[in-house]
Amino acid sequence: MSEFDVEFIDRSEDDRDARFVVRGVTPAFANGIRRAMVADVPTLSIDTLRVIENSSVMFDEMIGLRLGLVPLTTPPGEFEAGETVTLALDVEGPATAYSGDLVSADDLVKPADENVPIIDLKENQRLELEAEAVLDRGKTHAKHQGGVAVGYRHLQTVEVVGDLGEFEDDEPQIIRGVIEDDGELVPTEEFGNDLRNRYPGKEVRVEDVPGAFVFDVETDGSMSVDDLVLEAVDSLYARADELEEAVQL
Amino acid sequence: MMIPVRCFTCGKVVGEHWEEFKQRTKEDDENPAEVLDELGVERPCCRRMLVSHKDLVDIVAPYQ
Repeated sequence: MSEFDVEFIDRSEDDRDARFVVRGVTPAFANGIRRAMVADVPTLSIDTLRVIENSSVMFDEMIGLRLGLVPLTTPPGEFEAGETVTLALDVEGPATAYSGDLVSADDLVKPADENVPIIDLKENQRLELEAEAVLDRGKTHAKHQGGVAVGYRHLQTVEVVGDLGEFEDDEPQIIRGVIEDDGELVPTEEFGNDLRNRYPGKEVRVEDVPGAFVFDVETDGSMSVDDLVLEAVDSLYARADELEEAVQL
Repeated sequence: MMIPVRCFTCGKVVGEHWEEFKQRTKEDDENPAEVLDELGVERPCCRRMLVSHKDLVDIVAPYQ
């Protein structure tokens, strides 16, 4: 297994958002990680319901869909694909059933967000059900996607090639992402995404840094960014090993 | 009817922010753009989920 140089630029306190630079990877591998984060890292999600009572204004199926979309915390390595966890919900109106009202049979698995309204219940309405959460991959259903809006772009360097002519047009030099300046990583938001603010009166040339990618990762809360990325890389290696085994003579 | 749990386009969970968003924009008359920024709903696809939503449960409720 080769080593990659990873450097964080920013990350949120709740560990759901992060931006980091990875060096020494090919574009194909970078895209492989991105795709694995979206489609290959399994997460738990409610899949089957046993409805005991539903006198709300929504059909059972609609409630099932809403519950399925609620992210559940999935500790990596604790569950096998296809394994299930039972959760229960019992709310009587007048009240709102929230995702936080779900009671889980397993302490490791609980709704990642507790404030998602499932359904408003009026007087004499009641929702009681048991749900089976199953571990599956984003390939099967979008509700199993651990990564949300995962993307990457090239790390870029800005080189000053000369001065701008005195009467030359002042054109905007819009750039988004992260630039590297003398080994320092600068998010472009710091200078309003416009290179004119950082290098006034200079002519600049922007170039990609070979093999360096800035990843922008956000998770739905089912696991932390670190876990998601590591799981994604592991799944890539696992598939490569599987391929190697399958083609061996 | 109810606020969608996730953004249709990117899959971010937006449902959890609805009640705070509604409270702050409708009753406290705050600027919706600023409220969304503070809630961490950054992308246009997620913002439209909250901005364009209308709760209809109360209207449907009598016709069970």
